[in-house]
Amino acid sequence: MLTIDLAGEPAHLLPDRALHLPVHDALLVADVHWGKAAAFRADRIPVPRGTTTDDLERLDALLEMTAARRLLVLGDLLHARTSLPAETRLAIEAWRARHPRVEIVLVRGNHDERAGDPPAVLDIACVDAPYALGPFRLHHFPTEVADGYALAGHVHPRVQLHGRGRQRLALPCFVFGERSGLLPSFGSFTGGAIVDPAPGARVYAIADGEVLAVTPSALSAAHT
Amino acid sequence: MTHAPSPLDAWFAEQGWAPFAFQREVWDAYARGESGLIHAATGTGKTYAAWLGPVRAALSMNATPRPHRRRAEADPLRLLWITPLRALAADTERSLRAPVDALGLPWSIESRTGDTSQARRARQRTQLPTALITTPESLTLLLCRDDHREIFRSLECVVVDEWHELMSTKRGVQVELALARLRAVVPALRTWGLSATLGNLEDAAATLLGTTPDGAVRPGRLVQGVIPKRVEIEALVPDTMERFPWAGHLNTRLLPEVLRRLEASTSAIVFTNTRSQCEIWFQSIIAARPEWFIHTAIHHGSLSRAQREDAEDGLKTGRYRLVVATSSLDLGVDFSPVDVVMQIGSPKGVARLLQRAGRSGHSPGRISRIVCVPTHAFELVEVAAARDALTVGAIESRDPLDRPLDVLAQHLVTLAVGGGFTRAEVLPELRSTRAYAAMSDAELDWALDFVVRGGDALAAYPDYARVRLEDGRYRIADARTAMRHRLNIGTIVSDTAIAVRYTTGGSLGSVEESFVARMEAGDRFIFAGKPLEFVRLRDLTAFVRRAKSAEGAIPSWQGSRMPLSTELSAAVRERFARAAAHRYDAPEMEAVRPILELQRERSRIPVPEALLVERCETRDGHHLFVYPFEGRLVHEGLSALFAYRIAQFAPITFTFACNDYGFELLAAERAPFEEALANGLLSTEHLLHDIVQSLNAAELAKRQFREIARVAGLVFSGYPGQAKPMRQLQASTSLLYDVFARYDPENLLLHQARREVLERQLEASRLGVTLARLEQQPVTLVDLDRPSPLAFPLLIDRTRAKLSTEKLADRVRRMTVALERESRPPGAATLRPARLSAQDR
Repeated sequence: MLTIDLAGEPAHLLPDRALHLPVHDALLVADVHWGKAAAFRADRIPVPRGTTTDDLERLDALLEMTAARRLLVLGDLLHARTSLPAETRLAIEAWRARHPRVEIVLVRGNHDERAGDPPAVLDIACVDAPYALGPFRLHHFPTEVADGYALAGHVHPRVQLHGRGRQRLALPCFVFGERSGLLPSFGSFTGGAIVDPAPGARVYAIADGEVLAVTPSALSAAHT
Repeated sequence: MTHAPSPLDAWFAEQGWAPFAFQREVWDAYARGESGLIHAATGTGKTYAAWLGPVRAALSMNATPRPHRRRAEADPLRLLWITPLRALAADTERSLRAPVDALGLPWSIESRTGDTSQARRARQRTQLPTALITTPESLTLLLCRDDHREIFRSLECVVVDEWHELMSTKRGVQVELALARLRAVVPALRTWGLSATLGNLEDAAATLLGTTPDGAVRPGRLVQGVIPKRVEIEALVPDTMERFPWAGHLNTRLLPEVLRRLEASTSAIVFTNTRSQCEIWFQSIIAARPEWFIHTAIHHGSLSRAQREDAEDGLKTGRYRLVVATSSLDLGVDFSPVDVVMQIGSPKGVARLLQRAGRSGHSPGRISRIVCVPTHAFELVEVAAARDALTVGAIESRDPLDRPLDVLAQHLVTLAVGGGFTRAEVLPELRSTRAYAAMSDAELDWALDFVVRGGDALAAYPDYARVRLEDGRYRIADARTAMRHRLNIGTIVSDTAIAVRYTTGGSLGSVEESFVARMEAGDRFIFAGKPLEFVRLRDLTAFVRRAKSAEGAIPSWQGSRMPLSTELSAAVRERFARAAAHRYDAPEMEAVRPILELQRERSRIPVPEALLVERCETRDGHHLFVYPFEGRLVHEGLSALFAYRIAQFAPITFTFACNDYGFELLAAERAPFEEALANGLLSTEHLLHDIVQSLNAAELAKRQFREIARVAGLVFSGYPGQAKPMRQLQASTSLLYDVFARYDPENLLLHQARREVLERQLEASRLGVTLARLEQQPVTLVDLDRPSPLAFPLLIDRTRAKLSTEKLADRVRRMTVALERESRPPGAATLRPARLSAQDR
C-alpha cells in the first residue's frame, strides 16, 4: 500500500487495483466487469470459469482490510446483459450477503448502459456521473470538472516502462494529474491500454503486489 | 502402350502441342482408377496432366459431342479442383474450360471462392457445376451443408493444386480433413496432387492420400513431369561496399542498376519478400521513371481482387511491362513468361528461387535466369550459397503437420453443422488422415468436450454449448452458432483484415488491424502504390482519400521474417567457412570481402568447428552475440534456453533477438557467461525440461496462442458489415492466454501452443542435435570494443523476446517511464509508441 496526497486528502493506493479514501470511509474500484467470461461462454466462446469468483474474493479481502463502509464503483460493474447466469448471480448475491452493511454505489459506465442496472436484491445504488464525494467527482469516462477533482476509469490504464538493455514493461497503473485521475481496471479478465500521461502527472505502477511510484526521469523507489 | 488417335490428341495437335509422356502416364493411371502426385516445374503442363484424365474418361463415355445449352443440362458434379489462392481460380477456370468447350463435353465449369458473387453462390446452392474450382475454406463451407453427402455423391476426382504450398500448413490439414470426409462419401474417389519440386515427395504424396479407414496405406503414383530447365542465379553487386548497409531489408541502393536492367527488357517481374518491400520498390521505380507508370503494376496479397487481376491480365496481354510482386504472383497456371525476373532481398530458399526463376525463358531449352538484388551485405553471401545449394540439388522439404487440435475442433464443428456425426463414425475418418493418424482416443474426447462444453473448466457450465450431443449424435447447437462458425472458417489464413476503401467508394484491398489501429485522421500512408490519407475507421473498414504528396508510412505487414531454409543455412555456413580460409571464389563473395575481412579484424569469421561468441558493452547494455548458423527457428529456441540457463546463476533480465546466423542476449548488467559455460550451458542433460521452462519464461507459447485462439473460435471478429462490432465479446488473445493459463492451465489448446512452439517454431529435435554438436566444440569467446559486422543486424533488431529471473518490482525500480519521446535513446525512435487496440476495454 502506498499513501499519497490527493486533492488535499490522504489516499491509499492498493496493489489489488483499488483506491481507499479513509476520510470518506470509501473503497473505490473501476471497471469490475463481473460476468465477462460468462458472457463469452453464453455466446459460445469458451473461456474458463473462475475470474468473477476471484474478483469477489479480492473485494472481500479489500473490504476487510480497509473496513470501508462504502464501496464506490466507477462504472462497468457488469460486463453484458448475459453476464448473470444463475451461477454467477448466486455467487454475487452470496458475496453481497457477506457485506450487508456496506453501502454500494455504481456510477454507470458504458457497459452498464447495455447490461442494465444490477438486480435490486444486490442493493446497489445506481447513479449517473458525476457522484460527489468530498472534493472528488466520480465519473466513468475520463473528464475534468470545474468544481472538484475528477476520478474515472474506462481506460484500463497501463504505463510503459523502459530500462537499460532495451527492456520494456507495461503495468497497470494509477495516474493522477493536476485536476483529474485514472484508476486501473479491477476485473481479472480485463486488458489495458498504454497511456501517455501528461507532463507533471503522478504515475503509480502495480507490480508483484506492490504499488510503485514511477517518474519520467529517474525512478524513485516508493515507500510501501 | 499405343494410342488410337482420339479427339483429345486432335485437340492437342490443333494447339500445336504433343502430349508429354508424363501426361499420358497420368491419364492412363486415372483411367485405371489410380490416385497420385504429379511434380514438375511450374508452367510445364501439370494442369492438363491432371485435368485431361477425367476429360478423357468422359469422352470415352460420350462418343459424340453433346454441347449443353443451359447450365442445368450440364453433367452433375464430377470434379473438385482445390487451389490455395483464390486469385488463381479465374485463371484455372479459363485453362480448364478451353479443351472442354472445344471437345463439346456437356460440362459446366465454375469457381467458388471468397470472391464469388452472391448470385452465383445462390445458383450453386441448387446445382453445383460439373467441375468446381475452390479454396480449402470454401470447400469446408460446402461441408457445412447438411446435404453435403448428396451433393458430393457423384464426385469422381479431387485435384489439389500447389499441394507443396498447402501441405505443411493448417490449411493443408483442413484439406486432409475435407478429403477424408469426401472419401467417406465416395470411397472410390481419385485424388491427384500437383506439386513443385520438393525434397520429400513421397511424404507429400502419402499426406495427400491418407490411409484407408482400416489403416492401410492408400497406393499412389508419383509422376515426375518435365525436368527443370537450367537455372542461372546472378546477383547485382554494388560497386563499393563502403556505404552498403549491413542489415535491414528496405534499402533501395541498387535501384539505378535495377532500372538499367529493366530498361533493356520488354517484360519483367520484380519479386519481393514482403508486402512493404513491394510497395517501396514500386514507389521508388515510379519516382525514378514516372513515364513507366502507365505500364507498371503492383501485385500483393492485400490488394483487391480487381487490382490483382488487372496486374495479371496486363502482364499477359503486354499492357504492363513490369509487375512488382510478392509471392502472391509465385503461383499461377496460365503462365506469361517474361524476359527478366528479379528477386529483391534474400532468396530465403532454393525451391523458392527455382520457382521464381522459372517465370523467365520459357521457350524450350532456354535458360531460366534470376537476378538477385541484395538489400544488405550478407544477402550477397546468401545468393552465393543459394547457387551452391542448387548445384548440389539441395531442394527443401516441407513437413506435414501433426495433430493440430485447433483445426480438429474447427472441423468437428463443421461436421456438426453439416448434418452431425457420431464418435464411432468420425474416429476412423479422422485417423485416415496423416495429420491425425496418431491421435489418441483421449485427444479426440478432449476435442469433443471442447466443442460441447468448452473444455474441462467449463464442465458444469450449463449455458455454454457450440455443439450438442443428443442420442450419440453431435449436432450444432443453433442456427446462430452455425452462422458464426461459417464466418469463422476463413480465419486460418487471415488476421483481422481491415478493408481499405475510398470515402467515395471503390475498394483498394485490406491491411492488418494492427496497422490501422495506430492511425489517426489525416495520417498518410502508401498502399496499392498510391499515397492515401486516413479518414476514419468504421465497421472493419478503413476509409481513405487520395493524398497529394507521395510521402507516408508503408503498412508493415506481418510475415516479413521468413527464415532461411535449412538447406540454405547450411550452404551459408559453408560460405563463411571458406571465407575464413581466405577463399572468396564467387563474384558475390568477392564483393562482400571487405566486410568479412572487417569481421576478421574486429572478431573472427565463424567456422563450423567452433562456436563463436562475441561480448561487448554499448550504451544499451551488455551484449552477448552467439553464432551457431542453424537458422532463425533453432536460434529462437536456443536463445531462450541460453537466457534461461544463464539466468539461473544470478537474477537477471535478458531481451533477445535472433536471425538466421545467430542470436543476441542483452542485459543491463554483465551476464555470468563463463560461469554458466563451465556449468553445463551447452549440456544436453535436462534439455527438454529446460526448453519447456525457458519457453514458458519467454512467453513464446503466448505468441503462438494467437493463431490457435483464432482457429479454435476463441476470438471472433464480428459479422461483415455489422453496424456495431461485438465489443462486449472482444478480448485480445494475450489476455485470453493469461486467463487460460491461470484458470484452466491444463487446457489442451495451451498444450498445443507449447507443442507448436517446441516442434514447429523451435524445431526441438534440431535444437537437440545442435546442442549435441555445440557441446563437443570449443567456444571462442571474443571481447569486442564495438560490435562486429555480424553482430550489427542483431543489434538493431527491435523485435525482442524477454526472459527474467528478477522480481518484477525490482525491475520496475530500475526503469523509467518514457513520457517525452525526445528523451528516448535515438535507437528507440523507430519504436512506435505501443497503443493497444480498444478491444480489451
